[in-house]
Amino acid sequence: MQRNYIEFLLDESLHKISWDSNQKLKPTTTLLQYLRSLPNHKGTKEGCAEGDCGACTVVVATLNNQNQLSYKAVNSCLIFLPQIHGKQIITVENLSQGQRLHPVQLSMVSMDASQCGFCTPGFIMSLFALYKEPGTSTDKDIQYALAGNLCRCTGYQSILNAARVALKNKGRDKFSEKEAETIELLKQINREPALFSTEQQHYFQPTHCSDALELKQKYSNALLISGNSDIGLKVTKKNELLPLIIDLSEIQELNKIIALPQGVYIGSNTSLNQIKNELKESYPALHKILAVFGSKQIREVATLGGNISSASPIGDTLPVLMAYNAQVILRSVSGKRNLMLSDFITSYRKTQLRPDEIIEQVFIPKPEENRFYDVEKISKRTDLDISTVSAALQLKIENKQIKSIQLYFGGMASYTQTANHTQDFLKGKPWTIDTLTQAGAYLEKDFAPISDARAQAEGRMLFAKNLLLKFWQNHQKNQHHD
Amino acid sequence: MTKKVVHESSSMHVTGKAQYIDDMLLPENALTGYVVTSQIAHGRLMGFNLDEAKNTPGVHAVLCYRDIPGTNQMGAIAHDETTLVEHTIQFIGQALFLIAAVDEETAKLAASKITTEIEELEPVVTIEQAMEKGLQLNPPVVMQRGDCESALAQSQQVIEATITSGAQEHWYLETQVAVAQPLELNDMKVYSSTQHPTETQALIAEALYIGRHQVEVETRRLGGAFGGKETQANMVAIWASLLAQATQRTVKIRLFRDDDQQMTGKRHPFLTKFKVGFTKEGKITAYRVSFNANAGYSTDLSMAILARARTHAENAYFIPDIYIESTAWRTNLPSNTAFRGFGGPQGIHAIEEAIERIAQFLGKDAAEIRYLNFYQKEINNTTPYGELIENNHLETIWNKITKTSDYTKRKSQVDAFNQTSQFVKRGISLTPVKFGISFNTPFLNQAGALVNIYTDGSVVVHHGGIEMGQGLYTKMAQVVSEELGVPFDKIRVVATSTQNIPNTSATAASSGTDLNGMAVKNATDQLKDRISKFLATYWTNESKHTINQEDILFENNDVLVANQPELQLSFTETVNLLYQNRINLSARGFYSTPNLYFDKATQQGRPFHYFVFGMAVSEVELDVLTGKHRILQTDILHDTGLSINENLDIGQIEGAFIQGLGWCTTEEIKWDNKGRMLNHSPDTYKIPGIRDIPEIFRVSLLDNAPNPNTIKQSKAVGEPPFIHAFSVFFAIKYAVAAVKNHKVYPELNIPATHEKIVMAIEKLKQE
Ligand SMILES: Cc1cc2nc3c(=O)[nH]c(=O)nc-3n(C[C@H](O)[C@H](O)[C@H](O)COP(=O)(O)OP(=O)(O)OC[C@H]3O[C@@H](n4cnc5c(N)ncnc54)[C@H](O)[C@@H]3O)c2cc1C
Ligand code: FES
Ligand code: FES
Repeated sequence: MQRNYIEFLLDESLHKISWDSNQKLKPTTTLLQYLRSLPNHKGTKEGCAEGDCGACTVVVATLNNQNQLSYKAVNSCLIFLPQIHGKQIITVENLSQGQRLHPVQLSMVSMDASQCGFCTPGFIMSLFALYKEPGTSTDKDIQYALAGNLCRCTGYQSILNAARVALKNKGRDKFSEKEAETIELLKQINREPALFSTEQQHYFQPTHCSDALELKQKYSNALLISGNSDIGLKVTKKNELLPLIIDLSEIQELNKIIALPQGVYIGSNTSLNQIKNELKESYPALHKILAVFGSKQIREVATLGGNISSASPIGDTLPVLMAYNAQVILRSVSGKRNLMLSDFITSYRKTQLRPDEIIEQVFIPKPEENRFYDVEKISKRTDLDISTVSAALQLKIENKQIKSIQLYFGGMASYTQTANHTQDFLKGKPWTIDTLTQAGAYLEKDFAPISDARAQAEGRMLFAKNLLLKFWQNHQKNQHHD
Repeated sequence: MTKKVVHESSSMHVTGKAQYIDDMLLPENALTGYVVTSQIAHGRLMGFNLDEAKNTPGVHAVLCYRDIPGTNQMGAIAHDETTLVEHTIQFIGQALFLIAAVDEETAKLAASKITTEIEELEPVVTIEQAMEKGLQLNPPVVMQRGDCESALAQSQQVIEATITSGAQEHWYLETQVAVAQPLELNDMKVYSSTQHPTETQALIAEALYIGRHQVEVETRRLGGAFGGKETQANMVAIWASLLAQATQRTVKIRLFRDDDQQMTGKRHPFLTKFKVGFTKEGKITAYRVSFNANAGYSTDLSMAILARARTHAENAYFIPDIYIESTAWRTNLPSNTAFRGFGGPQGIHAIEEAIERIAQFLGKDAAEIRYLNFYQKEINNTTPYGELIENNHLETIWNKITKTSDYTKRKSQVDAFNQTSQFVKRGISLTPVKFGISFNTPFLNQAGALVNIYTDGSVVVHHGGIEMGQGLYTKMAQVVSEELGVPFDKIRVVATSTQNIPNTSATAASSGTDLNGMAVKNATDQLKDRISKFLATYWTNESKHTINQEDILFENNDVLVANQPELQLSFTETVNLLYQNRINLSARGFYSTPNLYFDKATQQGRPFHYFVFGMAVSEVELDVLTGKHRILQTDILHDTGLSINENLDIGQIEGAFIQGLGWCTTEEIKWDNKGRMLNHSPDTYKIPGIRDIPEIFRVSLLDNAPNPNTIKQSKAVGEPPFIHAFSVFFAIKYAVAAVKNHKVYPELNIPATHEKIVMAIEKLKQE
């Protein structure tokens, strides 16, 4: 028999939800909906149900490879219940000890960092996760940690000040005291593969890649999910009933980064935050884009496989990965195959992924010597915003001439595309502002962008042209640094 | 006064214990209310069938306009809004039918079973379209002084321009919500996220066809409002009440974020034309301005909002000959509504544009032009509507902030930087605000309170104001604490209810503390009077020498006569003594702002109790290629009179400034030609985030500036600091203009998104 229940810690005690006949909750009920259905967890708020405000932020503590707890702030509005299996959920009600407030709560009070208070629980939880991160937290760390939380009242200054105070001396807290106990409780949770079924839904949660592949072979119309930051919206925003799901998030094999001399293999399940942190030195352009990808809460769950598979015209990892000549490694029961990422994506939200396949890994070759890789993202707001236009570059200059150039644009067409005419024009030309200004005209041949909620076609084209100059400017700066 | 008291709810905010309406535990059989809305912006509802929806299991009521017992009308001021569409459909998101069901899913299922027959008509979306069709909501209103036309003709220079500013979504974190609970005798209790419980109560009573005495509206706290819950909360409360009456069960309606954004009104977009005459020194001699507001489909508060635009058209400047005209235009959008500043920002936008253009034309610093035109103390101190500006702090603030921000030096550093930097430009700007405090409509300036003392010495305070994060309840408790000498933990300011305080005005126009504070103080004055009168007699009898009522003090939870240790009782002992002697320990307070009048016909009078002043200096750094900018530094010096609570006031200033920043930069709403809103969720509607605030952000309060005749000599604080965001907007424009060395004035309106900025720069380059 497969596991048909989930177990998790909430308020330090073990909770169990079974999908037997009289279960009213769906497997696609979100953690937020679940918490708010309880009488004593209404501190976690809904501001948007789409990951864009942070009011629903809770902290998930998981056992990592070393059997230690790691604490992550996530948007509970985009997490399906099965995804909390085996984890500890910490909510805002949970932080204080009797009347004694947690340091992050105390400083938010003493620095007047709440006004209407509706955003406050979310901020508290983001700060709490940062409090539990080892090491000191800089102002930049604070800003990254809070960029996924919107506040309409305070103007953030008081929150920033409160964060500085609270994080100055991270000490032990109630959770440190109980850590051993929590670890024991979590360790005991059964981690078998699971199937949660209701009359209308089947939700598989395999724990091994091979099982997932077999399921995918059998149910080729099943929807894969990993971080659920994209698919979750189908439920919360479009009220879709997802009848058949294969959830890959519990497959540890797909969650690792292997660095080899020839390049790096990234498991499809690896969170973007982990990639951001681990590949900062080796793939700076990837790090640069991930720093402005969604929010920290989103990056904690969002995976590379999910971003690639979405094949969105504004998928932020796509241009830069293409510039790095990344490959996707696809696997099915019958074997695996490698494709260049730029070939993998074929049109608007379409890829070469076959019905029985999953993305297993992404391979990024080691950047070549003497090449310049860069990426730029333009959006209305710096953080937690989708690209209006994005672009990535791979450039080789010899004797001040452009020896080779690859340009990939997001937001300019129905999917991420190279700027062929522009590249052809630039090849062999001197790397100067003048040539790049002239190259702008060729972008008009390459792209016919659309007008939408984010920008007008005209604005997009102008951004794209300007980004060529921006690359020149970045390259100049980079040279000066060397 | 202890000025460092923290927000009364803060420890509940941080522990998740503060209860909002959606957090209430409801009875088992409570139902979820759902609103079926129009998907087209203009049309006629020719027919519909609700049978299948009604037969859906789990559905308890499906209502159409015919099911409304009272009037099908929910317009707050002009009675021009249908509660449920009868015939004409006027915007996308307008309510057609109501459903009450066991849960949301069932309600949505039922909604999908409703069939309608709708005839679609051409919608009107923009101001320009409305102007073309002559769709005025009301005839234009003119306010004027002198002879603007001939003054313009005689001016040495004249500049003309047309500018626009966009809609702004309130984006309160808590969406509109109401819980309606039917009571015996057909009465209704409604918990509503309203800024104006009395109006909500009145409209519910009319819809249900019952008396106002049968409807209680209660509100403990809002998760943000900013004007967006002044009238826009009414509809949800009315709909929930209709469903509750029909089903005789508790019904909750909470709007989903996208629905909230699509159904509720915004800050009015403005299209403004102006002509400004000036001397070669930059002194403004004449100003003619015409405001055109996109009102949406109904009147709502548009006329009052335009009144505030008119009364703020000259901001902090004395303009001898001035002609101000304003018109609201009817379109097929949700009815635009109150939003922090209430037309003031749009009014001020134009005159500040005029100043910037004068400066650019004359090759002078805009701050210098501003200074030259400031209202003065002895002369040039009356507004276009005839109100004398008293206690003018402009000069003082200017002197201080130019020093503390080192404005002049930084301005020249900015110019020097721009000389050598091609792709990065900097800008700096100093902007002032003068903001009139009071509802523009005089009769609204009243408030009530009820203070009850219990015999254990504890106190409960009722007042008519709404707590929406601004700290009103905290300030009220501070007033009571100081007046009665009772510590905070013995004072409860409790949920605002129409049964306790009747006939209130909205908590709006920044006036919450001014009005309710005075009403509360009026109540504590009465209580103190009774107590001291009694004690004076009592102590006179006891001590055998005369004790005057005036000598009795209320301090540290005691009532006493100074330097007479034997004449001292604890507050609890005192109130017990009064109770034993059958003296009333409860008092109603009332306040109405004195000396307010305004003649609508002549547009002259004294609409404001006083003015708030302030200035901001912001410096930005702009990436010319991407339009991205950082605010390097903002300094704000703001006048709050003698602040009751400095930290709360600074929080209001910071928050208002950042909200203004959003309006000026990232917050953009577009509609397509069918009237469909494109930015209806936070996915595409972008309010500022934590990385958008100034890197150095210094807010100070003007010290030593008591405000006569207000509660504790304080000043209102909610709206005026919104205006400080112009310092960023014009700093950005300055950086943009630097691309062309300030030879050409850039075309850049509000909001100055990254896209609009790069387009403005491109245009400059091509000049
Ligand atoms: C608030 C918010 C902000 C966001 N910001 C950004 C942003 O800045 N930039 C950006 O590019 N995106 C952004 N996104 C979109 C989304 O977060 C990313 O695309 C993310 O990488 C998706 O990963 P996931 O694991 O959450 O995907 P999921 O939602 O789990 O899945 C997404 C898609 O990938 C498929 N899939 C998942 N795993 C695999 C696999 N192993 N093999 C094959 N197919 C698979 C799924 O079937 C689905 O079609 C944002 C989303 C939200 C809600
Ligand atoms: S509710 Fe807004 S991020 Fe989850
Ligand atoms: S305090 Fe109101 S939204 Fe943050």
